[in-house]
Amino acid sequence: METPDAIRRIVIVGGGTAGWMTASALAKVAGVRDRSITLIESDEIGIVGVGEATIPPILLFNRLLGIDENAFIRETRATFKLGIQFVDWGRKGHTYMHPFGLFGPEMNGINFSHYWLRALKAGGDPDNHRFIAEAEAMRENRFGRTGPGDGAGMPRINYAFHFDAGLYARWLRTYAEALGVARLEGRITGAHRDGESGLIRSVVLADGRVVEGDLFIDCSGFRGLLIEQEMQAGYEDWTRWLHANRAVAVPCERFEDPVPYTRSTARESGWQWRIPLQHRTGNGYVFSDAFISEDQATSDLMARLDGAPQAEPRMLRFVTGRRRRGWIGNVVAIGLASGFLEPLESTSIHLIQTAISKLLALFPRAPRDDLMAEQFNREMDQQYEGVRDFVIAHYKVGTRDDTPFWRHCRDMGMPDSLRAKLELFEARGEVMVERHELFGESNWFPILYGQGLTPEGYHPLADALPEEELRLRLDQIRAAVSARVDGLPPHERYLQQCLAAAPR
Amino acid sequence: MSRRVEQVVVIGRDAAVWLSALAVQRALGRAGAKVRVIEMPSLLTTADVYAAVPSLGGLHRLLGLNEAAVLEAAEGLPVLGQRFVDWGAAPFIHGYDTHGVTLSDIEFTQILTRARGEGLPVPFEDFCLAAAAAKQGRSPVTRAGVSADQPVSVGYHLDARAYVDLLRGAAIQAGVEARAGDVAEVERSGDRVLSVTLTDAEVVQADLFIDASGPAAVLASGAPGPGFESWRSWFGANRLLVASAPRLKPLPAFSQIAAFPAGWVGLHPLKSRTAVVAAFDSRAMSDAQVLQALPGLTGLPLTGEATVEHLHPGMRPAWVGNCIAVGGAAVSLEPLDAVQLHLIHLGLSTLVSLFPTEVEAMPEAAAYNRAIASHVANVRDFQLAHYVLNRRDGEAFWDRARAPELPGGLRARLQLFGARGRVLQGEDESFQPQNWAQILIGHGLIPADPDPAVDAVPAAEQIEKVQGLLRRIAGEVRAMPALDAEFGAA
Repeated sequence: METPDAIRRIVIVGGGTAGWMTASALAKVAGVRDRSITLIESDEIGIVGVGEATIPPILLFNRLLGIDENAFIRETRATFKLGIQFVDWGRKGHTYMHPFGLFGPEMNGINFSHYWLRALKAGGDPDNHRFIAEAEAMRENRFGRTGPGDGAGMPRINYAFHFDAGLYARWLRTYAEALGVARLEGRITGAHRDGESGLIRSVVLADGRVVEGDLFIDCSGFRGLLIEQEMQAGYEDWTRWLHANRAVAVPCERFEDPVPYTRSTARESGWQWRIPLQHRTGNGYVFSDAFISEDQATSDLMARLDGAPQAEPRMLRFVTGRRRRGWIGNVVAIGLASGFLEPLESTSIHLIQTAISKLLALFPRAPRDDLMAEQFNREMDQQYEGVRDFVIAHYKVGTRDDTPFWRHCRDMGMPDSLRAKLELFEARGEVMVERHELFGESNWFPILYGQGLTPEGYHPLADALPEEELRLRLDQIRAAVSARVDGLPPHERYLQQCLAAAPR
Repeated sequence: MSRRVEQVVVIGRDAAVWLSALAVQRALGRAGAKVRVIEMPSLLTTADVYAAVPSLGGLHRLLGLNEAAVLEAAEGLPVLGQRFVDWGAAPFIHGYDTHGVTLSDIEFTQILTRARGEGLPVPFEDFCLAAAAAKQGRSPVTRAGVSADQPVSVGYHLDARAYVDLLRGAAIQAGVEARAGDVAEVERSGDRVLSVTLTDAEVVQADLFIDASGPAAVLASGAPGPGFESWRSWFGANRLLVASAPRLKPLPAFSQIAAFPAGWVGLHPLKSRTAVVAAFDSRAMSDAQVLQALPGLTGLPLTGEATVEHLHPGMRPAWVGNCIAVGGAAVSLEPLDAVQLHLIHLGLSTLVSLFPTEVEAMPEAAAYNRAIASHVANVRDFQLAHYVLNRRDGEAFWDRARAPELPGGLRARLQLFGARGRVLQGEDESFQPQNWAQILIGHGLIPADPDPAVDAVPAAEQIEKVQGLLRRIAGEVRAMPALDAEFGAA
């Protein structure tokens, strides 16, 4: 069916991870047979290399593009990631993990966590990680992919990657250009809007070139070149709950075989990340400048590296929150242009990916399609708010009060949606997760428990299992986890196998 | 020291009371819960019917009820859908079929939207296996019961009294203690029920009360809080009639829901009779007028007793303090779309998953009420969609039904479907996108445009897919036995 005002020209404003992920997916799924896809980026403007750590749905994105995973690992210098290790969070001296795995199987229609809590209350082992294969593999620095039918009765291994986002963007650029995406080098200095409809007609480059389009994807980062500066979307500020507003980042030399997890260490006025890649280690300190100066934070970070720094530290300044509307008229914001959440749970790339898949599902028929825009905004709001609450929980639950920063966290409020979750968890270990939420029970449990919130009760149904049988089941699950982890090779060896197997 | 919930008292009547008792007993009996039923006088007549969507099969499995035995004991018929007649558009069948068909990840609705846009004159229902089978009076269910690998989901028509008798027997056998009784007085402290005094002066205490008394809500209606929220502005019918008519020959594999000037009348075939249910607005026609009109409307004479009762759609917070209202005591909806038992099921499965851990404080209530409210709103919106899409112009009742200010969720759903053929799915959905697509298209809401992604699929591939699906459905329907041959002999 031909529509006279169909989308014929898509213009992506900004390269980087968001821009090239969007270009690649649009080229692969929508194609360039009936439309053109142009990406404008400037070599002058630095790319904010966010989100070097990812979560498991990234596998789906690579699969959508038809990318060979081993080639991806080689090109982006990636390592595998089984989860996040949290150090000194809930309380100083305590370490726990957020693994990507399930906490035991569901039994008699209720989550395994209730049976485990029953055993705990009866004096059992308080170490929940022993029932999660990914957590045990993290401890032992092992990794391996598991396929269907591989190891009957043993848990599968869920994983994501750490990778160099700059290399990923460069690699996707090659991919997208091969599919017909046109790249224009240039800095955008303005835009022309239709006087009547207010839609963006074209963007103007510094050298005077004018690029016309029907649909504009704003991947210009924090400043929101089109979505904010032209469409004036407005910004919802979440700093009352997430008050960190700076991150200083620096890569350092690799000093050991890369571990298959991200490390997040709580610091005096924020937290420090450590992301192992094949060739180097990414580090950063997320903090609030109300509690520590940029200079002090930088020198703290530099003093706490485990290898020699490989570059000058870079300072990022941000305001946590969300663009009030991510899609207005014919402008769709993706990536940092649409909002910012600190990378505590490695969600930046995922939020890009989610926006892309929603844009594809709600692809407009005409430059202006308000119904699709409203729906997109509704669904993205839910995504952002779910992640927001999850991140806040890390700060809110726990007993650290040793610095002004942590006392501030203790004393601040929280969204009602989070409060309701915490109340129910505290009473009975239940996490009420709505369907659209990214993080489920298997994510919330290890975080809340790890932060120090031990439920008072558990589901009464868990008492239905005779004691003897409960012990037997726990032993069986524990044995299956051990068998799985014992069968995995060391992470570094597996990584080398992947690199050797990668097609040229 | 906290104390676990042990004494559970269920007060109520009919399916709700016994389903509740059986569900709690089966799920939590082993964990120490003791269930006692106070059975109030039944409100059912010989004419009553329970029409149920396929999810009832899941509830039966949970309760340990044998499918064939249920059908046998309750005059039951397995049915594949509901046929909507005289709602303004051409008649159509909503088949209880949720098997999605995709082509390169594009929903089939999309392809069909485009095919229709290009003039392919195939009704949507022909692409639904359940609807296609129902049209031909065929069903995959045999007397031996429902086989696990059957390709369609099956709903039920059950004689209400016989079904309740079966449930009562199963509950007693499972260890539920029961006595007959009626409530004289409820003693409360704050939001908690302390005790219930029965008409014979017995005082009943419990850790947890379940109110399964239907719209009377003998416990829940007196609870503090916001109380009953009326949905009158959306649902104009205020009378509910039940009656019987002779058995249909051959037995159809669907219910028929026919609109008439004052509301709708449903014919629900059972093995030896046809249950007649009508919901209507007394402002448009009186009880007597409807009774008089029914034979003409249905083409069947009425036999046996007929009753009419008051109907008031709406809901109240289901869980307050230590008392949980289940079924009609919490939610009142028309028996449209066969959701009556489903609403009870919804309450019970949510209760089992949030069963309180201790007697004194029950923080589960807020989560329970949130889940139920969201789930019920979606069911209500599904019913409401029939009304707002009606095209019976010039009749006061139906003109009003098209007019109301819609709940936001339904408005967005209708808009998005009308534009794109995409079904918005939110939290807690009972009806799946395929169900929505069937009724929306059936009532004439044809998407203006398919998803642009459809354009990327070559036309030849689409045609092949459409034809292949039609062939496959025809083949599968041919392989099914005729419903009448299986169930009509009795």
